[in-house]
Amino acid sequence: MSETEFGPWSELVQLGTKKAMQGLSEMIGADIEVNDLELKLVPVTEVSNAFGGRDEDAVGIYLSVSGSADGHLMLMYEPRIALAFVDLLMGQPISTTDSLDGMGRSALGEMGNIIGAFFLGAIADATGLALSPSPPSVMTDMAGALLDVVSADILLTQDETYVAEASFRVHGEDINGVFMVMPTQELFETIVNSTKVA
Amino acid sequence: MAATATERALGLGEWAVTGDRDAVLTCLGLGSCVALVLHDPSTSVGGMAHMVLPDSGAGRATDSSPAKFVDLAVPLLVEAMARAGANRSKVQARLVGGASMLEMPGRPNTMQIGERNAIAARAAIAAQKLPIVEEHLGGTKGRTVRLEVGTGRVDVSTAGQRE
Repeated sequence: MSETEFGPWSELVQLGTKKAMQGLSEMIGADIEVNDLELKLVPVTEVSNAFGGRDEDAVGIYLSVSGSADGHLMLMYEPRIALAFVDLLMGQPISTTDSLDGMGRSALGEMGNIIGAFFLGAIADATGLALSPSPPSVMTDMAGALLDVVSADILLTQDETYVAEASFRVHGEDINGVFMVMPTQELFETIVNSTKVA
Repeated sequence: MAATATERALGLGEWAVTGDRDAVLTCLGLGSCVALVLHDPSTSVGGMAHMVLPDSGAGRATDSSPAKFVDLAVPLLVEAMARAGANRSKVQARLVGGASMLEMPGRPNTMQIGERNAIAARAAIAAQKLPIVEEHLGGTKGRTVRLEVGTGRVDVSTAGQRE
């Protein structure tokens, strides 16, 4: 991976994130603004630092990517942020939900569906690639354990990965979270090469 | 859990061996990864490796995380124990982790990684002729393991509770 590859990948992630937030805005009937989106290339072994450590509680929404290339999409949040999303999705004031039940998991899964479909759809439109998300898995566990789902696969071929950290603003409140797009080397190269051709 | 001055958390692919009786080694938030814990009660030498993948033949070799692969990490840790003064015939092995964090059809290699790590670890330890005295493997929950090197005490916890 190089600086010249980083540019097109960064643009695609920003485009995909913007589209994903538009989709989510439509879903909840309120504007979600992307305050800040930071894309970083970090060692796979250090990704969990974004959550305060491997044994911190976290909520993960995982989708695998298939089609022109395989990869992973993982959205990870501190539990209180995930609960805030549940309230937004259910049309409730934030802080109404205090634990993640079946309904909350289902709502987060649906959020994963929307984000995955809009994000990958935007990248597919820009590159001509066929990229499909799997059904979402919503998991609650230690951050490190959740990250193992993608880390093991990525560490097979590379030691570093791209992480997008995003903060959002909705109903006048800031929601900070980590929206991680962790492409495998295969997915990354396929996407970057397709932008060179386009 | 309060960290002590000599507590060391091992990240993905990291390992450590020590004869420092005050040392504490941990692997935090193990999902499909497997922690190998070695301890010799006769010399109070202890070691731990945070292993990620079962077989180095399936992936790219790398210098940054020498204990990434089970097949390389197990002999590496056993040899390091001997160099640190452990009596090989007294070394006991424990295995922790190897969970399946999600069940999803269509990605068999990724999804079975925990189970494959566990199988590879048992085989590699058997090849070293070490006894496995304790296992906390499989299931669907993440684990944290902690070794007090001086006493040989091993604690395993899942999110919010001791195992």
